[in-house]
Amino acid sequence: MTASIPGHYHGKGSPLFALYLKTAVLTILTLGIYRFWGKTRIRKYIWSATSGNNDSFEYTGTGLEKFLGFLIAIVVLAIYLGIVQMILFYFGLAVFGEPQSDIEALAQLAGIYITVFAAVPLFLFAQYRARRYRMARTRWRGLRFGMETGAWGYVLRAIGHYLLTFLTLGLLLPRQTFYLEKYMTDRTWYGDAKFVQVGKWTALYRGMKHIFIGVGLMIVGLAITAFTQSPAPILIFGIVGYFWALIGLVSYRIFSLNYLTRHKVLDKEVSFTSDASTAEVVGIYIVGSLAIAVLGAILGYIATTVVAGALAGLGTVAFEDLSNINFVVFLVPVLSYIIFFLLFGGLFLVLITQKVIAHVVSNVTVLNADHLDTIRQRAADKGADAEGFADALDVGAAV
Amino acid sequence: MSACSGRYFGGETGQRLTVQVDAFVNGTTLVIAHEDLPNGRLSWPFSELRALSDGARKDQLTLTLRADTSDDSALVETARLTIDDDPTIAVLRRHCPNLTKRDVGKGTVWKVVSRSAMALSAVAVMIFVIVPALADTMARLIPIEREVRWGKAVVAQIERAFGATELGALHCENPEGLAVLDAMVTRLTSGADVVYDLNVQVFNHPMVNAFAAPGGQVVIMRGLLDKASSAEEVAGVLAHEIGHVESRDVTRNGLRAAGSAGLLSLVFGDFAGGTVAVLVAEAALNASYTREAEAEADRYAHRMLETAQVSARGLATFFDVLSNEERGLEIPEYLSSHPATEGRAEAAKRVAQVQGSTRPILTEKEWSALKGICKKA
Repeated sequence: MTASIPGHYHGKGSPLFALYLKTAVLTILTLGIYRFWGKTRIRKYIWSATSGNNDSFEYTGTGLEKFLGFLIAIVVLAIYLGIVQMILFYFGLAVFGEPQSDIEALAQLAGIYITVFAAVPLFLFAQYRARRYRMARTRWRGLRFGMETGAWGYVLRAIGHYLLTFLTLGLLLPRQTFYLEKYMTDRTWYGDAKFVQVGKWTALYRGMKHIFIGVGLMIVGLAITAFTQSPAPILIFGIVGYFWALIGLVSYRIFSLNYLTRHKVLDKEVSFTSDASTAEVVGIYIVGSLAIAVLGAILGYIATTVVAGALAGLGTVAFEDLSNINFVVFLVPVLSYIIFFLLFGGLFLVLITQKVIAHVVSNVTVLNADHLDTIRQRAADKGADAEGFADALDVGAAV
Repeated sequence: MSACSGRYFGGETGQRLTVQVDAFVNGTTLVIAHEDLPNGRLSWPFSELRALSDGARKDQLTLTLRADTSDDSALVETARLTIDDDPTIAVLRRHCPNLTKRDVGKGTVWKVVSRSAMALSAVAVMIFVIVPALADTMARLIPIEREVRWGKAVVAQIERAFGATELGALHCENPEGLAVLDAMVTRLTSGADVVYDLNVQVFNHPMVNAFAAPGGQVVIMRGLLDKASSAEEVAGVLAHEIGHVESRDVTRNGLRAAGSAGLLSLVFGDFAGGTVAVLVAEAALNASYTREAEAEADRYAHRMLETAQVSARGLATFFDVLSNEERGLEIPEYLSSHPATEGRAEAAKRVAQVQGSTRPILTEKEWSALKGICKKA
């Protein structure tokens, strides 16, 4: 065994695309029920494509347990959502009218914010539980990962950090990023070995460099416009600054991913390197978006034509005595809509998500890997609840 | 089959054993040999072998033993054997009958059925009992000013939807026509106990329709005036819409839809086409509620017409015209928000037959003024 283990990603585009299409069609045919199995199968593919030292990761989750978890979550959420949503709607009615006074305008604004923020704790809760579930269902070299319980603690901390970041106009974003990740990492295990997040949150400020430049450009543009009364500077500086800050945001995410990974320690012995590159990731997004636009247009055109043709044929044969015109007119837009989402989802997964995963994985190395041999299995995490809430609330994990 | 090497993880430690995977004893067992294994070897029967599914690596096969019966996947069998040797993989695929079989634990079916039943009944109780009851209560509790404001916003939205670039662009404001419309509303409501301050408007649009919005807002489309052959027909439709206003149907429906739409999107999830499923379900649900409300509004209209001494024959004629129109596109009743039109015409005719004395609601001159309400003064 070598002392360091580089990450490898073996996944290919076309098998994953085929798997996505297959599961998506089954999902539609089962009115959404197959989505739990579909997501599981895609994860199995991606996990098994990830390897170190030629030992693949394994995703042991099952669609069935996800479905069962979802059924439980739905009972709780049905009651919560049904009642809360209607009460909010009742008080939110003021939103529809023109405000008659400042106080009313403020009340409206408060109403809108409360409506949005009422769901935040649930989302954060689901987010932590979803990560815990994924960890509990991930194995490498036969050993389980795992995460301690602590979703409510995460909810409280996350809300606190969000408020701080908001009140400081984003200046404390690195603090939020660092401590939320530390909260989760410090509760994560591989076998009987514990992860610890070390490092300093202030070190993440270097990663914000390009966000600051972008925002700075926008402020400079605003200042020059205010001074010269000409709209050109704000336009030019504004647009350049906006895109600069946007790429700066990607750069920050990559920088913090690298920093946080390099400063994770497993069992006080094993450490990691991570050298993902912003340029590569931005490149994947740009090339991927262009390819999706072109491929999506071509495939979408072919698929819609075929469907419309098939339906027109059907309409004259099988649906002779029904008002077949209405039938076809109704079905074509619905099917086109479905086809559009299928193609977009599949292409995005293959051309962007998987490529980013591949890039990140290939740039991680496990150091001092010999120590891994001393790690033993951990007891299974019973009742990691299969993401029921996350599925019901559609908490946005890419895979 | 010749022997090859494989990578074995027992699941107790993270240590990798490079094992000797051997030809089978009597062709039914896989023998895994390594000095660190208990007794130096493991025997895995072919029928118990399972391969991990949906793997990305086509050049290798990862084997495990039949999972135990738990459906909690965190608890399943932990040992893994990965083989890279193509001929061996081919042989195993050919000779292991259950390689791709999914083992389902005992009691799984019952678990799925009982939990599905629980989830379905929770959603059903919410959608059919609790949400409508809450909507009903809230519709009665909502302050009238707020309801009026909401209604005006709804009317404004509809006006935009019908193509008004600025608000008021569709309003028909011929003063003579407005005066006649006013007189008609007064005549209809004089004997009735109407809670709302009615705000009846005509929109300049060819659609044959009329609708009520929350808080006493009623809109008649010009197409309906064009299509109607007598003022009594318009009065009948108006009385029907006032019926909706008075029973707060639209308010209640809006509140109910807000509650159930959220629940439905939860059930169907975010798959491609999920939005369509939610829309169809919501339309079917909505239709079943409004069918009752429509029948109730019809009965309200009948009473109002009787009290105001306006012949219900006009309403019957209008339904007849509508049902002729509908022949073109048959909408099944369960998807349509209105009861079958022919039945409604019959009901109105029966009322007309037993009705007391009636007098015309408008003079000929007033009727043509109303028809011209959208002309510029």
